[in-house]
Amino acid sequence: MDRTLKAFSLILSYPTRELQHAMPEIGGVLASDTRLTAAARRALRPLVEELAGRDIYDLQETFVMLFDRSRTLSLNLFEHVHGESRDRGGAMVSLVETYREGGFDPVTSELPDHLPVLLEFLSTRPFAEAQDTLADAAHIFEALNARLVRRESPYGAVFASLLQLAGVKPDQEAVAEMLAQPDDDPTDLEALDEVWEESEVLFGPDPSAGCPQVRDMLANMDVPINPAPHQAAE
Amino acid sequence: MSHLLDRLNFLQSKELEQFSNGHGQVTRENRDWEDTYRNRWRHDKVVRSTHGVNCTGSCSWKIYVKSGIVTWETQQTDYPRTRADLPNHEPRGCARGASYSWYLYSANRVKNPLVRGRLMKVWRKMRETMEPIEAWTKLQADPILRASYVETRGKGGFVRATWDEATEITAAANAYTAKTYGPDRVFGFSPIPAMSMVSYAAGSRYLSLMGGVCMSFYDWYCDLPPASPMTWGEQTDVPESADWYNAGYLLLWGSNVPQTRTPDAHFYTEARYKGTKSAVICPDYSEAAKFGDVWLNAKQGTDAALAMAFGHVILREFHLDNQTEYFEDYTRKYSDFPMLVKLDEQNGKLVPGRFLRADDLDGKLGEENNPEWKTVAYDEISKGFVAPNGSVGYRWGEDGEWNLEEKAKEAETRLKMSLVLEEDYDDVVGVDFPYFGGEAFGQFKTDATHPDVLTRNIPVKKIKTADGEVLVATVFDLFCANYGLDRGLGGDWVTSDYGNDMPGTPAWAEKITGVPADKIAHVAREFADNAEKTQGKSMIIIGAAMNHWFHMDMNYRGVINMLVMCGCVGQSGGGWAHYVGQEKLRPQTGWQPLAFALDWNRPPRHMNSTSAWYAHTDQWRYETLKADEILSPTAPEGDWDISMIDYNIRAERMGWLPSAPQLKTNPFEVAKAAKAAGKEIPAYVAENLKSGDLEMSCEDPDNPANWPRNLFVWRSNLLGSSGKGHEYFLKHLLGTDNGVMGKDLGEEGGQLPKEAKWHKDAPRGKLDLLVTIDFRMSTTCVYSDIVLPTASWYEKDDMNTSDMHPFIHPLQAAVDPAYESKSDWEIFKAIAKKFQEIAPGYLDVETDIVALPILHDTPAEIAQDQVKDWKKGECDLIPGKTAPAFVAVERDYSAIYERFKSLGPMLDKLGNGGKGINWNTQEEIDNLSALNGVQLDGPAAGRPKIETAIDACEVILMLAPETNGNVAVKAWHALEKATGREHAHLAEGEHGNKIRFRDIAAQPRKIISSPTWSGIESEKVSYNAGYTNVHELIPWRTLTGRQQLYQDHLWMRAFGEGFMSYRPPVDLKTITKDVQDEGDTLVLNFITPHQKWGIHSTYTDNLLMLTLNRGGPVVWISEVDAKSAGIVDNDWIEVYNINGALTARAVVSQRIKEGSTFMYHAQEKIVNTPGSEKTGNRGGIHNSVTRTVLKPTHMIGGYAQQSYGFNYYGTVGSNRDEFVVIRKMKKVDWLDKEKSWEAPAQEAAE
Repeated sequence: MDRTLKAFSLILSYPTRELQHAMPEIGGVLASDTRLTAAARRALRPLVEELAGRDIYDLQETFVMLFDRSRTLSLNLFEHVHGESRDRGGAMVSLVETYREGGFDPVTSELPDHLPVLLEFLSTRPFAEAQDTLADAAHIFEALNARLVRRESPYGAVFASLLQLAGVKPDQEAVAEMLAQPDDDPTDLEALDEVWEESEVLFGPDPSAGCPQVRDMLANMDVPINPAPHQAAE
Repeated sequence: MSHLLDRLNFLQSKELEQFSNGHGQVTRENRDWEDTYRNRWRHDKVVRSTHGVNCTGSCSWKIYVKSGIVTWETQQTDYPRTRADLPNHEPRGCARGASYSWYLYSANRVKNPLVRGRLMKVWRKMRETMEPIEAWTKLQADPILRASYVETRGKGGFVRATWDEATEITAAANAYTAKTYGPDRVFGFSPIPAMSMVSYAAGSRYLSLMGGVCMSFYDWYCDLPPASPMTWGEQTDVPESADWYNAGYLLLWGSNVPQTRTPDAHFYTEARYKGTKSAVICPDYSEAAKFGDVWLNAKQGTDAALAMAFGHVILREFHLDNQTEYFEDYTRKYSDFPMLVKLDEQNGKLVPGRFLRADDLDGKLGEENNPEWKTVAYDEISKGFVAPNGSVGYRWGEDGEWNLEEKAKEAETRLKMSLVLEEDYDDVVGVDFPYFGGEAFGQFKTDATHPDVLTRNIPVKKIKTADGEVLVATVFDLFCANYGLDRGLGGDWVTSDYGNDMPGTPAWAEKITGVPADKIAHVAREFADNAEKTQGKSMIIIGAAMNHWFHMDMNYRGVINMLVMCGCVGQSGGGWAHYVGQEKLRPQTGWQPLAFALDWNRPPRHMNSTSAWYAHTDQWRYETLKADEILSPTAPEGDWDISMIDYNIRAERMGWLPSAPQLKTNPFEVAKAAKAAGKEIPAYVAENLKSGDLEMSCEDPDNPANWPRNLFVWRSNLLGSSGKGHEYFLKHLLGTDNGVMGKDLGEEGGQLPKEAKWHKDAPRGKLDLLVTIDFRMSTTCVYSDIVLPTASWYEKDDMNTSDMHPFIHPLQAAVDPAYESKSDWEIFKAIAKKFQEIAPGYLDVETDIVALPILHDTPAEIAQDQVKDWKKGECDLIPGKTAPAFVAVERDYSAIYERFKSLGPMLDKLGNGGKGINWNTQEEIDNLSALNGVQLDGPAAGRPKIETAIDACEVILMLAPETNGNVAVKAWHALEKATGREHAHLAEGEHGNKIRFRDIAAQPRKIISSPTWSGIESEKVSYNAGYTNVHELIPWRTLTGRQQLYQDHLWMRAFGEGFMSYRPPVDLKTITKDVQDEGDTLVLNFITPHQKWGIHSTYTDNLLMLTLNRGGPVVWISEVDAKSAGIVDNDWIEVYNINGALTARAVVSQRIKEGSTFMYHAQEKIVNTPGSEKTGNRGGIHNSVTRTVLKPTHMIGGYAQQSYGFNYYGTVGSNRDEFVVIRKMKKVDWLDKEKSWEAPAQEAAE
């Protein structure tokens, strides 16, 4: 079993006293994994310490606020890939099938795309295969890291590490798309407006050029829907 | 990967093996490409379910499931066919519903039980050494501990809990509250049972077993049109949407069918292909306006003036100058037009008074039973006064003459409608009518000047009564005068010229509404002309907009008057089509025993929410509307100068409205004291209320003994979308940060209430515990102490009905509840189980006392023909007659769980029924025992099981006449006794028709005709309200037994609403000098219609729907208004008044009428809302700028149709008369910086 991936699965689960007690061991596993750079391992330390030492209620409140309540930090990966589109159901079914092919049945009340579930599964797979799957989600890790850093949350380090394990540079376009959220700079009214603005309707001088709003809509529809990690891995 | 390379396009291999006589062949090339399709449409099963959302759509859907995951959904297309020549119902379902399954897996879902972190921490610590109830007791006794979680409501800080812990805290809090203060301090709010009736029943059954209070919703949402109970004695009954197709003329009045009635709109379109004409009345250029043959853009809030002008034209052209035979015949039989009204002398002037009753006449017309409740008319055959069959006096205490046959004392009659001919009247006298049009303020003002009292000539008869000679006139003659029609009797304020600017005429209405007089006359004429030719096939489809004004009754009664004048009510293709809220719970009488635990104990505690929230959120402390502002200039002498809360207190005291809590003293203690004193409970309570030793809670709502302590909210976003006076909820009920900016009456030095006790400092944080059960993190959840994750609509078994179509169909658990969620049925069962575990020794078998108001459709409803207050010594306190009844109820807290999941013995003893009739239902109980099985042991041994939600569905289906033909036949027979007529033919042949849950799972089923409803299910006509009244001669359940257009209750007359008239919007004074900043000049009327991108608050936070709209809250304003305030489209704007502020983007549109602004309700506070500059807090929701304002006429009780019923009558939460200031925002602040541990609630919004 890949104990590092398993450790991340635990760290990203709802904090409990049991987890707190296990943190020294988990911290040890992470500190000794040389697949991670020294800087990355150092960056994980505050989180490890916090999880081990902070009041459990504070930890739990923080976790609920970050991961249960904030859509942009959802640990359900397909939230970031498919959002509320109809492809989500199908993508989850594919993932369940991947788990089954790997010899496991999900027994959790969490959905199959819950990151700790996926990480636990990957911890049982050969690293090369795990790496492929992580690479598919690289842009999500990068975006979650950025968002968590913005909130000054030590959880960011987990995603930075996952990115390292994935061993790829995330598709910057995809990351940029994810990060293009209205909270970028709350004081910048103009940037804020841009997110909301509909394109201007122009008539002429070339009436056959079509309505720019419709053109934009069509362009958006042309963007291919991101495949689920399983499909992409094929 | 391309599949092209693997596939042979032009060749076929000869080597291929063939089978099945060459019909099949084996191929060897790669067929992976087929997987694309297999994956796209793969599923293991298809399950029927629906979306239990309050849209009245009630559309059946196919849910496709693969590996326990919903993969997609499509509309069901298997509704039973309609008859020939009528379009079918489908396709039903809309884009909003279709976006639901993605909602199922949304990041907004509540995944685990959540408890406020500070509460959880303290609780676990205490539980180490204490039992649950002891722990809660200690926690409540410590003000610092209590405040630690109360004050953090709405500020994040949740931790996950186990179900065991969450239900334990809840049950302990409930037990403590019942024992310490009384079970009536535990409130529960859930709306619209029709959308998922078992889920509703789960909570209300638990509450009713423990003695808690079920809060009403239909009135609170302001979807209840009080005009309906006033006129028909019916909450709401309307035609199914298919009946639109049968109309010859469709008037859409404030209803935006194409936008908000998506699955039904096709009938509207199809009717127009058939040649039906349609007029649309709405202030904005709505989607419906585009469908209209004519669009009347009346100014918002002035609909009653338009209705009055329509009525003026119809009366003139179809009743007076020409007398349409059909209209005259209809109104004589089915309206109160021929009934006689006494004229009262007041300061030398005459005003319309009470209906003449048999009791007023010498010899009482031979009526011994209830003569004071039998109205009188003049009969042309016998040339004398008669008390015609059908009035409420015939309904109770005797059998056989409560019908609409043209008879009195078994003799044929022909009632006289008018005394206008010289040979008929004894005199012509001037009678005073109030005129309110002159009170208009601001943008509603016109240049016309009319006095506030208009005296018009009326033909009268003089008769001798017990009290001497009195003058009487027919309702019809007074009615015509009220519309300003000249009938050749001389005098002022009547005219025969439409162009005369006199109240009632089209010219007058033009000035008020902005609609040209000739258009008004044209539409009125067409409407009536069609009704004449088709015998009543003119229909008015009416939307919530009209009902949300403070004076909604005037709008609605104006519309109803038109329909009655033209004989449209009760005729297929005609009538009043008010579709507001999914109010129609078709199997109602089967559901009630389950929902209110009537099988174990009666009566349940029901409360009208509007009055309750008004009192408990302390909105009354800020009341700006005084009674004299809405009192009629013709009001009889009386003590009218009191506050709105005072009126409510009087109403509660006289048994008109319910109370919650009921008595200041814990009812358990009162029962014990009565027992100790050796007295009967009603007598004991009456005695001590009179002496003042017992007090009603309503008289001192701010006293800690009278606070609601626990509140359950389920299936609702009470704080997010229906909390009128949102900020007051936050401040006083919840005790957390709020945006209330106004000062209360004490600080303002205003007139303090006379009946309600005033405390200088208002309490904050009345609730000990707020528990919300929801599947998504709603605004209410954010403010709760405990959030329990519930199953959503594809994860539970339940049933769904609507008034839009006659079918009943299920919700089914297509997949297991996601994450840790459970269905509502299982959640309340778990709470009941926990309660039963921890209660023994603390609460066992207790005697509770329930204060029961005088209820409609019961023999008690004819309680008070005169208004008398026992507290003022005007009468004795007689429980159930001059005050609430006080009923002892035994509750077994040690068996609450066993009772919850078993059908109790009370139905065997008392039978079942509703709306005034009752039948033996032993056979159905026996069938349920056989079907569901019986409990083998325990306190409910031998009783039918209700373990699962499906068991609960079977109970409803078995007991209801609508779904069990055998019961339907029994119910019709029960009604036959009262009417003396044969009705059972309506359910003929249905004896053996029994609908089961699995039947509706297979296909939606049409219900069976039952006397619970006034329409029928038939192969010949579509469902339409009032059908059995007109065609079976079953009286309306009103005082006169007819459609009652004159309301004679003292309070109705005092507030000038005996007859319908135009009353302009009221000035709520919510924009004061203190609050309005200099330079902010744009003041607009704030309107909150239904939207296109959500259903109330549901779907509004769904990304798909947000993307279709502008992604966050928007407010629509007209181009002209926007320009005046320097606002351009998409600007961030701030909307505020004394009640609070909200922020949104401006949509500047030609669609909107100047002077008004639209904000679709209800957009979520958690979605993309920046902070408000005005309050410094997150911008509020649309209810932030509204406040509840009560109207005394809605409190009337103990008076036939004006008697209380749950969701039937009572104060309503109107909100359209609000004005707001709008300004452009200078700076947008998203308030999303973390504030130490207590991060604000917007996280989920990003």
